[in-house]
Formats: sequence, C-alpha cells, structure tokens
Amino acid sequence: MYAYTIRRVLIFIPMLIMLSIIVFGLAKAAPGDPFTGKILDPTVDPEVFEQQREALGLNDPIPVQYARWASAMATGDFGTSMYYKGKSVQSLIQERALNTIYLGLFSLAITILVAIPIGMYSARNPYSLLDYSATTFGFMGLAIPNFFFGLVAIYLLSIKLGWFPAQGTISGTEIGGWEEWKSRLHHMVLPGITLGLAGTASYMRYMRSEMLDVLKSDYIRTARAKGMGERNILYKQALRNAIIPIITLMGFEFGALLSGAIITEQVFNYPGIGTLFINSIMNRDYPVIMAITLLLGVAILIGNLLADIFYSLVDPRIRYD
Amino acid sequence: MPKNINKAYKSPFQLAKERFLKNKLAIASIFFLLFIIGAAIFAPFLTDHDPKKGDLLLIEHAPSEEHILGTDGSGRDNFSRLLYGARISLTVGFSAMIFTLIIGVVTGAIAGYYGGIIDNLLMRLTDLVLALPFLVLALTIIALLEKVTIGIFVTIIAITSWPTLTRIVRGSFLSLREQEFVLGARAIGATDRRIIFKHVIPNAIGPIIVNATLMMATMIIAESALSFIGMGIPQPNPTWGNMLSEAQNIRILRNHPEAWIPPGLGILLTVLAINFIGDGLRDAFDPKSNP
Amino acid sequence: MLIREKKLWILLVLLLAFGLLLGACGKDKEEPDKSEDQTEKAEKETDEQEEAVEEQTGPTAGGTIVGAMYSAPAGMFNPIFYEEAYEANILSFTHEGLVAQNESLEFIPSLAKSWETNDDQTSITFTLEEGVTWHDGEPFTAEDVVFTYQAMSDPDYVKAGGIRTAYVHPLKGYEAYNAGETEDFEGVVADDDHTVTFHFEEPNINPLYYASFPIIPKHIFGDMTVVEMAEAPESLDAGKVIGTGPFQYTEAIEREQYVLTKHEAYWQGTPYLDKIVWRVIAQSVMTGLLESGEIDFIADPNGIAPADFESVQALDHITIIEQADFGYQLLGFKHHHRTTEDVESGELNPDNWVPNEKVSNPKVRQALAYAINREGLVDGLLYGRGQPIDSPIAVQFWAYDDEAAIHYDFDQEKAKDMLDELGYVDQDDDGFREDPDGEEWVLNMHYPTGNELREKSAPLIQQMLEEVGVKVNLHQPKEMTAYVEGLTDDNSDWDLYLLGWSLGSSDPDPTGLWGVDAPYNFSRWNNPESTELLKKALKAPEAFEQDFRKEVYAEWQHVFSEDLPALLLYAQNSLWAYHNKLQNVDPLPFTMYENSHLWWVKEE
Repeated sequence: MYAYTIRRVLIFIPMLIMLSIIVFGLAKAAPGDPFTGKILDPTVDPEVFEQQREALGLNDPIPVQYARWASAMATGDFGTSMYYKGKSVQSLIQERALNTIYLGLFSLAITILVAIPIGMYSARNPYSLLDYSATTFGFMGLAIPNFFFGLVAIYLLSIKLGWFPAQGTISGTEIGGWEEWKSRLHHMVLPGITLGLAGTASYMRYMRSEMLDVLKSDYIRTARAKGMGERNILYKQALRNAIIPIITLMGFEFGALLSGAIITEQVFNYPGIGTLFINSIMNRDYPVIMAITLLLGVAILIGNLLADIFYSLVDPRIRYD
Repeated sequence: MPKNINKAYKSPFQLAKERFLKNKLAIASIFFLLFIIGAAIFAPFLTDHDPKKGDLLLIEHAPSEEHILGTDGSGRDNFSRLLYGARISLTVGFSAMIFTLIIGVVTGAIAGYYGGIIDNLLMRLTDLVLALPFLVLALTIIALLEKVTIGIFVTIIAITSWPTLTRIVRGSFLSLREQEFVLGARAIGATDRRIIFKHVIPNAIGPIIVNATLMMATMIIAESALSFIGMGIPQPNPTWGNMLSEAQNIRILRNHPEAWIPPGLGILLTVLAINFIGDGLRDAFDPKSNP
Repeated sequence: MLIREKKLWILLVLLLAFGLLLGACGKDKEEPDKSEDQTEKAEKETDEQEEAVEEQTGPTAGGTIVGAMYSAPAGMFNPIFYEEAYEANILSFTHEGLVAQNESLEFIPSLAKSWETNDDQTSITFTLEEGVTWHDGEPFTAEDVVFTYQAMSDPDYVKAGGIRTAYVHPLKGYEAYNAGETEDFEGVVADDDHTVTFHFEEPNINPLYYASFPIIPKHIFGDMTVVEMAEAPESLDAGKVIGTGPFQYTEAIEREQYVLTKHEAYWQGTPYLDKIVWRVIAQSVMTGLLESGEIDFIADPNGIAPADFESVQALDHITIIEQADFGYQLLGFKHHHRTTEDVESGELNPDNWVPNEKVSNPKVRQALAYAINREGLVDGLLYGRGQPIDSPIAVQFWAYDDEAAIHYDFDQEKAKDMLDELGYVDQDDDGFREDPDGEEWVLNMHYPTGNELREKSAPLIQQMLEEVGVKVNLHQPKEMTAYVEGLTDDNSDWDLYLLGWSLGSSDPDPTGLWGVDAPYNFSRWNNPESTELLKKALKAPEAFEQDFRKEVYAEWQHVFSEDLPALLLYAQNSLWAYHNKLQNVDPLPFTMYENSHLWWVKEE
C-alpha cells in the first residue's frame, strides 16, 4: 500500500512535467500573445508593445522560454502576470482560489447532504413519492445546462423575488467578522446550487442504483438471515459497499466541479479561478495559464490518488501492489 | 440442439429486450427521440426559412404567422433554427457519445481485465487527460483552432472526455475480475476474449450504459456550455446551445420566452428521453435492480 | 407491480416542475410597454424638477451611489501605467491633468489656471492653481508635473510596462533623455512652485493635448525607479493610490467592488457624495440590477446595449444620456498585402507592398459600398441608436465635414450596374460574379468576437454582398487576440475585415489610423494625395489656425470616401443611464464623470 502510494506520487513528477510541456506548447501555439489584444488604442504606438515583448523575452525561441519558465518554477516562482500588471501570479491565484474553494466546498456540501440521504431513502423505498420526485429532479438536474439554470435562477430568485444576490461574492462593505461571512454565504447560494446541480443529480442516481444492488446482494440477505439489525445492515454493510463508486466519482468530481465553476463563475460574476482562467486564455497571459493548469493538475491527480487509495481501503478485494 | 430447448432458453439479450419493451417510459422516450430526429431530418419540409439567413427588418420580432416562434437578434427565424439546431445538437451528442464510448470501453476493459503494466500505463494516460478538467482542455484546444467544424468539435469532446468512462469501466472490471464466475471461467480454460465478452461485459453493462447515457446528456449540455462562453459550434450555425446562449440576457428571458423556451425544452426533453432510455436499458440488462 | 402508476407519477412530477418553471418565467410578460414619448417626457420633467429642486433646497451632502462596469479593472491605478477603460473609470475620479476639455472639446483650465504659448509654439507656460492638495494632504506643485513627464520619458518606462509615450515624444530633448545619454530633462521645467513650462522639439500645433496627462505625486514616487513604481503598492492598492481628484480610491474587494471616498480638501470644494462604489456585474443582468436599484449608474465602456434601450427607458427612475460616441465600426478593404519577409522582420515599407488585385480597383470598392445597407444595420441591429457615417473623424469634432465625403446610400441596383460595367459578371451561371478575366472572384472576409453587434453584422453583410452577386467567404470569427495577429500579419488572403475604433476626444488628426505608414492602417492604404494632406494639416505654422486644418481635413475626408480604404459602417451612440436621485450630472460628449464633486443625492 505505502509502496504503491509512493510510486504513484513519484509518477506525478514526470506527469506534471509532461503536462506543463503540453500546456506551454498549446498556449504558445495559439495565435497572438499578451500584447496583440491591446494593440487597438490609436494613441499608443504599437512599437512600445514590441519593446515590452522583447523585455519579457516573448521573442525568444519557445524552448528557451519554456526553460526559463521551468527553472523559475523549480524555485517556486510562478512569475508575474503579463496582463494584470505588477501582480505576481501567486497573489492573483491566492486571491481567486479561495473564492473557488469556498464555492466548491459549499456546493459539494449541498451535494452530499442532499444526494446521499435521498439516494438511500429512494433505494429503501423505491417507487415512493419521494423516490419519484427525487428521480425526476435528478433527471432534470442533469438535463438543464447549468449556465441556463443560473440565468433563470438569477431572473426568478434574485431579480423578481429579491431573495438572493445575483452577482459577486459579497455585497456592501461589510468586511470582517460574522457579517462578512453571512454576506458571503448569502452570495454563494445561487452559484452553489447551480454548480452543485449536476453533481447532486448524478450522485443521487448512483447512490440509489448502487444501494439497490447492494441491498439485493447475497451478503445482505445472509446478514438479514443471520438476524443482524436493520440499522446495522444499512449503515455498516450496505452503505459501505454502495459508497465505493460514489467515492471514485468524487475523486474525479474535482475536475467536473472546476469545469462547472468556469461556467458558473461567468454567470454569477463570481471572481474565482474559472474566470481568471478564461481571462488568461483570452489574454494569453502565459504565466497565469501555466500556473492554473499545473495547480489544477496537481489537485486532480491528488484527488484521483486518494480515490484509488480509498477504493482499496473500503473494498478489501481490491489490492494494489 | 433440439428446438424446444431453444424455446425455453432465452439469451440474456432476448430477456433484456422483453424486459425493455415492458418499460413504457423508455418506449415513450424512444418515440419522442424518433420524433425529434424526424423533425431534424425533415426540417427542410417543415419550414421554408433558411436558419442562417438574417433580416434587418425582423430583429427580435414576436411570433407571427410567418415566424411562429418569432425571430432572433439577427432577424433569423427561430422555428427553423430550432429544427436545424436539433440536427447539429443531436449529431454532436450522438457521435461524441459513441466516439467516447468506444474509446472508453475498450481502454477501460483492457485496463481493468489485464491489470498490471497495461493497466498502469493506461491509467497514467487517463490521469494525464483527467489532470485537466474537460472544459479547460476543450477550451484551450478550441481557442487554438482556425476553424471549428462539427467533426472537429466532436473529436475534441471525445478525446477530452473518454477517461471518465475508462475509469468507471475499469472499476467494474476490477471487481468483476475477482468474482467467482470469472475465476471459474478462467479455471475451465476460457479465453480472455471469451471471458471479456461473455462474462465480464454483460455483467458490467449496467454501469456502462448508465454512464453512456449520462455521457450523451453531458455531450449535448457541453455543446451548449461551450456555446455560452463563445467556444461552441460557431454562429451562424444553428444549435440549441447557440440559441440558448443568445438568450443570456434579462430582456430576452423576460420579453421573448418563445426564443429560449423551445431550445431549452429541446435540450431538457431530449436529454431526459435519453436518460430514460438508458435507465430502461439498465433495468433490462440488470434484472437484479428490479423490485 | 404498479408500473403504470409509477410512470404516471414521474410524468406528473415532471409536468408539475415544468409548469412551475414556465409559469414563473412567463409571468411578467404583460408588463406595460412604455411608449417612447412618455419616457422622453419623463426625462425632461426630471430635468426641470432637478433645477427647480436645486433652487429650492440646494444640494445636500452625504450619500453613496453605485456605478457598474462589465469587467473588472486589471488593477493598475497609476495613470502613467494604466491601459484600459475600466481602470480609467476609477482614475477619472482620482487624478487630474493640467487641462481638461469642455463640451465643445476645447481645452479648459484644470490644475493649471492659465497658460501662454510662445510665438512659434515651441513652448507653453502654465500657471498652476494654488492650494491644491493631494489626497494625503501634501501640496501639489510644479515639481509633480515635471516628475510625471520625466517618469514617462525614463529609459525604462516602456520596459516597466508604460505605453503612453505619445505624450512625451515631442518634448524637447526626449530622444537623448530616453536613450539615457543625459540626466538632464529639458522637456518640462518648473519655473517656480506654481509655474511650469513645456518645451517642444518642434512647433507644436496642439500643445495643450500633450499637457493634459494626469499628474502623479512626486512625494510618493520620487525615490523609486520607474520599474519599482510599476509594482509599488502606491500604484496598485486601495488606500495607497494618491491623486488630486475629488475622490480617493480607498477600498476594494478585488474584481468585485472598488470604493471611492470623497477628498475632503478637494481644491474645487468638498464633494457632496460620501462615496462612489464601482461594482463589477455581468452585462446580461444589468437591466435587472438597474431596475431593482442595486446599481445607480452605468456608463462607459459599453453602457446600455441598444437592444436594452427600451427596457431601460421604461424605468421611471432612470434617466438615459444618449449622444454620439467617439468611434466607429468599419468594413475594411485590404488594399495591399505585405510580403512574408516584411511580416517576419516587422518591416512596414509601403514600397514593398503587393496590391490586392481582388479589391484594388476603387470603383469595385465603391460598388461594394453601395451594396451594403448601413441604414438597415443601424435601424435593425442598433435599434436606431446610431448613425451611418462616411467620414473617419468623430462627428463632435470641428474637423468633421459631412458635406465633404461621398455618401454611399444603399442602392443595390447601382452596385450591380457598376460591377457589370467593370466587367465583373457571372459567366458560369453559379449566381456569383467572376472577375473581368473570368476567374473565380471570392472575397475572404474576417471578423473578431467581442462586440455582439459587430458579430451579428458580419453574416448580414455577407448576405448583402451576395445579393449583388459577390461571393464572400466569411471566415469563422476569432477572439480579438488571435484576430489582431491575422490583421497585422497581412501576408495572408484577407480581403475584407471588420473592426471598430474608439477615438480620443483631444485631436481629430487621423494619421495614427490612416497614415500610410501607421501600423494601424490595417488596410495598408497607400494614397499619395492622402499622405500629403495629412502632413499638410499638421504643418506649422499654418496649422496653428484651426480653420486651415479644417479645410485640409475636409479635402482629406473626400479623398478617403472616394478611395475607400474602408467603408465606415456606423457610429453607435453611447447610452449611459443614471438613477434620478443623482443630481447635477453634467455629461460631456466623452464622459459622464464631469464635475463629480458637485454630484449629490436627493433622498425621496
């Protein structure tokens, strides 16, 4: 087990290098650079951009640029943004990552709190009213594009009814203390639900179907026959087995969550990693693109690794060696 | 083999078919899908309007006899865009799903069944692709391209989204691999191919199908999401996603429900129907899950 | 098994959910449509009321108003380094220049109360306002002016990220100072604490323009190198940015909210408003937020989309400011392409250019111009909130001369006749014209994303050209960054392109966009007559007289519209809006933020 984990971690390193080369190559292959998009102010001589390009080394051969980036990276220096002038990539990401993490956790919490109990209930009481409602909403949740759900939610719940704020992470200037958190939570409701919608729906479906399978399996029957208490069966035996695929899914959910975050953040003008990423792609802000993809890469790889390890912990039949 | 035995013994697929036919919601969904597909195919007979042709005098007009769903912000007929949009959205959804399914099942089966080095290599590959969220990867690639056609679009979706399916297929193979009937088959000397196709795949078909349907749903939705951030099938091509993303404005939401409800319903109902069918298939293949 | 019942349940729940969704969305469809006159009347009434109330009660101090922009500023709040309009939104409240512009675009005193030029206009001496203080209480002096221009002339200025070299280029001794050959900065000299003189290398026809740049404080940045300045908290962070303007940038939630607090000791009097808060919102929800009162005003860049005009107009508590914008959208014709070698070496030498045969005949370009329904674009896409123009000079300028230019009124028959006459006829009956040699004639058209109306106009323009038998290959739109690369590296097959320019309000000189060796002359237009006129219009001493320049520009506008480096499509009106509770809004042609220290809030 430990050997396996260590080996996986070691494999990370060449993979991250591969990833960085691919992304760097992709980003550089895209037409334009951080300055081409700015060239449209008639009072500015484009020559200045040429000088700035030269100063930033954007005219050097791509391998040279990569080497420069990589050696800075090796010392933990993410560089300076080429678009957000004077800002270090690290401060930019810190600023936004926190917002995305809050939003992600919030929506994951909604997902888990809603999906698992309802999924279990549905499996225990299949074809009950709640089961049908849950199934229906599950299906609908998967069927509505989340940007659209977000827009309609803004329209109905924010603009028509005024229940929730539609934009941003915080309103007014209540910075610091409990007020700030209340405001943040309030602002997270709509984007959180929007982001969590698809996840909730699919977890619910998985939970229900896995639980149904498990409840009908031989060992549960055996346990029942042996006279084991129903609570015990449900929470100790069944849940444990039904939750395996959910955990696998969750390991990957990270990626889906971030994809969703890109869209959701756009709709709600929620300044997180997703918006930053889209902006940096649009502006060819190479240092930021690289830093974000690498960070996402690391986060997702760790998520996958944890999923694998957990998988083997809960299902003793699976062994890694 | 005597005939009467044949009659009594039904193959799993025949059994599944019978069970599936009993599932009315799934059957209704199939009819609904056929209806949508029909509308898409026969679009030229259902409308005289060119979905790409705008008219400056008809911008954002309310429904009329001529334009039963009104016109969009470029004066194009919404109804014809809806019909032709179904073509592209369905094509994108179906082909991307099939494409992904093939890659996913093959790689997942190989990895899960053989394990060892092959598994390891494949899993590192999936890790690499999965190390970037689907949208991030798709977005980066699309941003690079000179021209985005449907084929290219589908390919991008497929090559960026197969690993999820691979992982899930592999997951079920991994646990099936160690189960008694597979061990038994191996003990009596069945070939790998036979074991994979006769024993493992039929038993893993539930999760595969559930996932393929989810995938198809995801594909249709991914198209609209990419349209939303301006990286989808480019205008003036009509797709449901394009139509919806044009409605991302309070004015249209409020004043022109005819512009966004139909494509919204189109996506919603089509994806629902696909999911119902997938569920029906799953129940059919996996009778255990029936009450 | 209760299969039937089960399906029924699912369907029922589905339908119910749907009904809820649709019902909720459709509800307000019946909201009354306010007719235009009504709102216009309301607008006028408000104006009158405004005056009346002011007379009776006078402005009261206090209150906060919330403005909105659609994108967050990149975060550089030092005028000498800022780049985009979102940052300018904040800087226009916090920093000031020596001179400003009035309604007729004349320069008027700001930090300088008077000035005098010498006879040949090689120098101009300003007398500064006394008693002006920076946000931190330090006095503003001539040294600050010198420092600002010196920093922009610094050898490392561009490397540090600065792009405003145009303001310091004509200063005396700039070249030498910028090259690091001398430590003496001769361009701007402080004569005493409140007198400062600008010296130019050559007679300058518009010296006030060069003196209009916002001033930064020497006592803050004086000890830093230019490179350090660009990264200093004093250039970036709320509370640290110091200017002389009526408001100070005091607080921020990055990317979301930017708070400006009044400058108590503002030299023109303490502002009435306590705070101005800028919020970043998505354009798609703007009308909703304006309606609900979450935002109080919206202006540049982008303001109200023409399609939203009616919805905003229907709001009783909102006043709309509509006026012509300083900019235009165009359909460019690539007159020449550059050679691949030139593109690679970055050389811009008209002698090496290769004519683009497909559109090199001016008559062909004129025919294409007649084929395009620009009035239709304005009426349809712009909902009438703009006008077709034929001259590439903003209409507000004294130099704009509508009479001088040829007007291409929509006339497809004329277009067809002209093309027939020129020998562009359909020879193989495919519905499209071939060129006079009988070869295939397909025009490659490109356009960028980023401006919704422009994006929509592209397929419509293609359609119009095809209606007169011109085959257009409309390429997929590209985001601006990728697009500009194709536009600049013009060794390609581009024939037609769409682009928009927003122009400055300070001088109408179009050389920067249409001069033959201007990099922004993306059409690669090379017309000797134009070159000569553009030079003539800037030549001292004749050009000191505005009337002289006006005449020359009139001639030039004719040349432009005849030779058509581009067909100007339309100038969109800028549409700004503010809540009626906000009083004393006194918009200028180029900004809504004039005299913001006089803004006040009338509580209802």
